[in-house]
Amino acid sequence: MAAYQLPQWAALAPALLLALTGLVLFLIDSISPRSTDRTLLAGTAAVGALASLAVAVWFTAAGVGTPTVDGGEGVIEIFDGQFVVDQLALYFMIVVTIVTALIVVASYDYLAGHTYQAEYYSLVVLAATGMATVAAANSLVTIFIALELTSLPSYALVAILKDNRGSVEAGLKYFLIGALSSAIFVYGISLVYGATGVLQLDSIAEVIADGGADGFGGLLGLGILMLLGGIAFKTASVPFHFWAPEAYEGAPAPISAFLSSASKAAGFVIAFRVFNVAFPLGEIGNVIGFDWTVAFVVLAIVTMTVGNFAAATQENVKRMLAYSSIGHAGYALIGLAGLSADGGELVMGAALMHLLVYGFMNTGAFLFVALAEHWGVGRTFEDYNGLSSQAPVACGAMAVFLFSLAGIPPFGGFFSKYFLFTGALQAATANTAMLAVAAALVVNSALSLYYYSRLVKALWIEDPPATRDRLGQPTGLYAAIVVAAVMTIVILPGFGPVAEAATGAAEALVN
Amino acid sequence: MTVAVEYYVLLSMAVFCIGLMGVLTRRNALLFLMSVELMLNAANINLIAFAFYHGNLTGQVFALFTMALAAAEVAVGLGIILVLYRNFRDVDVTVPTTMRW
Amino acid sequence: MNDWIAIGALALVGLLIPLGMMAVSYLLRPTVPETSKRATYESGEIPTGGTRVRFNIQYYTVALLFLVFDIETVLLFPWAVVYLDAVESDSVSLLEILGPMLLFVAILLVGLAWAWRNGAVQWAQTPRQAAADSDRQ
Repeated sequence: MAAYQLPQWAALAPALLLALTGLVLFLIDSISPRSTDRTLLAGTAAVGALASLAVAVWFTAAGVGTPTVDGGEGVIEIFDGQFVVDQLALYFMIVVTIVTALIVVASYDYLAGHTYQAEYYSLVVLAATGMATVAAANSLVTIFIALELTSLPSYALVAILKDNRGSVEAGLKYFLIGALSSAIFVYGISLVYGATGVLQLDSIAEVIADGGADGFGGLLGLGILMLLGGIAFKTASVPFHFWAPEAYEGAPAPISAFLSSASKAAGFVIAFRVFNVAFPLGEIGNVIGFDWTVAFVVLAIVTMTVGNFAAATQENVKRMLAYSSIGHAGYALIGLAGLSADGGELVMGAALMHLLVYGFMNTGAFLFVALAEHWGVGRTFEDYNGLSSQAPVACGAMAVFLFSLAGIPPFGGFFSKYFLFTGALQAATANTAMLAVAAALVVNSALSLYYYSRLVKALWIEDPPATRDRLGQPTGLYAAIVVAAVMTIVILPGFGPVAEAATGAAEALVN
Repeated sequence: MTVAVEYYVLLSMAVFCIGLMGVLTRRNALLFLMSVELMLNAANINLIAFAFYHGNLTGQVFALFTMALAAAEVAVGLGIILVLYRNFRDVDVTVPTTMRW
Repeated sequence: MNDWIAIGALALVGLLIPLGMMAVSYLLRPTVPETSKRATYESGEIPTGGTRVRFNIQYYTVALLFLVFDIETVLLFPWAVVYLDAVESDSVSLLEILGPMLLFVAILLVGLAWAWRNGAVQWAQTPRQAAADSDRQ
């Protein structure tokens, strides 16, 4: 128990700190425009992200969001429940700020010589603000606004290499599909509002439970499907995944890492919160005629299969990682597919864990690509041949990321996948379709091992081409990659608290 | 004489479908942007009609937010289209194909 | 249904009048095609160039700034509606009602200051600035 009581709004401090950092970066750039003092700018952004991370961890440790019966502070509601700070919100704030800090540190080297330094960092931090706000948003209004706050800087960030055709093309495609999906999302919101007359998530559930939406089953069902479309875009799931390979391949590699880890996590927190709080299973099935778990079962299987099969055929490393990131979205969707009216917190907790571990391993893998781009060695598997002889540390870290992504036992990725698998099997007692999901998980993991190990083979076993210059050792990129690798391994002994936090967050949401 | 809420929904669905049609068939990035605006405005029609129907103001205020966000989205989108034009000398969305499956 | 008949009649008349005027003038006017009639109209001046001229890119940045700031006033609107009630009631202090909006405007000002300092509203450039700009691109 803290000796003094902070005001209620201070519970949003992680997001507020990020917003403040963004504004400070703008001020720095206003005071000395055209400044390319990378240390100052990257330093400010990193300090902001780390401060935000520290506050989020502190809040979690102090018991904000833990139910009062367990000795916590209870869920904190801000602005009449427009925002809630509970375990889930803090959990995702931690994921987002970790990824942001890694990205910012890595960008220090990646952006050397770039003209728009301050703009870059402030956009990254503002996008992170949006993601942290999404985690706490508890009304369709705040969710939509926070989502746009995430998306708009991301569009600009993808296209920030203004003279690089790939970057601009990626930015355009990301923007076009993003604008379309946000239009669909807001139309879905308007239909849900039409059916229920409220926008706050818990009020929607109340109206549905009271039978207030009984005459509007079709409207509500269509609205929910459209919301699903908007979420599928953010998480890069089928059917709105087309932008992902293009955007990830064309964007600067740190931004690809940012989008595929943090932005995806933000999409999932919306999915978890909206579907659990606003449309609780059982009651919703009576109104719209079907349970949304069916939709998620289909989406999860299709997404992971499409992502992994497409990844297996790629020659370009970044594109392979992009497709594998679609596959991982499919794994995380199991968390929603496995829910049932009276349980499923185990499988959802597993999905939360997977997103945290994924935050480290996927960010690390993309940062290795950033390192390769920094070296200028090329983009395909063959270009990566024999890099280990010149940069053993980075290649060792990359091997850790790839094996962890594939789900090989000693690494963090194995545990989250294992929990997802057992959770899916457990959920199969209530919903036999989950057996198919569990089977798809196993098959896809086996397939993913093939293409991940192909890259490891290229790095470690193939001979390097004779004509390659000496490779530099950029401090920031190396630091970020090593930290991510260490965390991917260390998370194994430290899995207890993580699992506890994730299951706690899931339990609080489901029940 | 008030108009029943169904007609507003019909209108907004029609506007939404026109926008969606435009998104799917147009190749000019600017027309694409206009179509997306149509879809957002369809949502606004819905929100305001339903706010009237339910007798609360939530929907109207949200419509204001949607308008502001739509403007911000257009601002970013126009910026991207501008750099697209600089790089490809065209605003046709099918022209940039440096990346393929 | 009577109301709708009136509206239909109005629409019909609204269409017929301009169409009729165009038809009458088409029948009455002499047709003398001539190049100066087809030329671009520039207030009696001799036209220079076509109508499709490229605008300075500067217009675009100013238009963007205008677009964003103009629309932000939309967000002031709901606040202005409740402002008087809030000031009169005792349960809300002046700081509570005024503070958030001041904060909002302050954030906008940070954005405007940034745009200003980075030359979004700069029409003419001194040679020194032009040199700095060419370094940047």
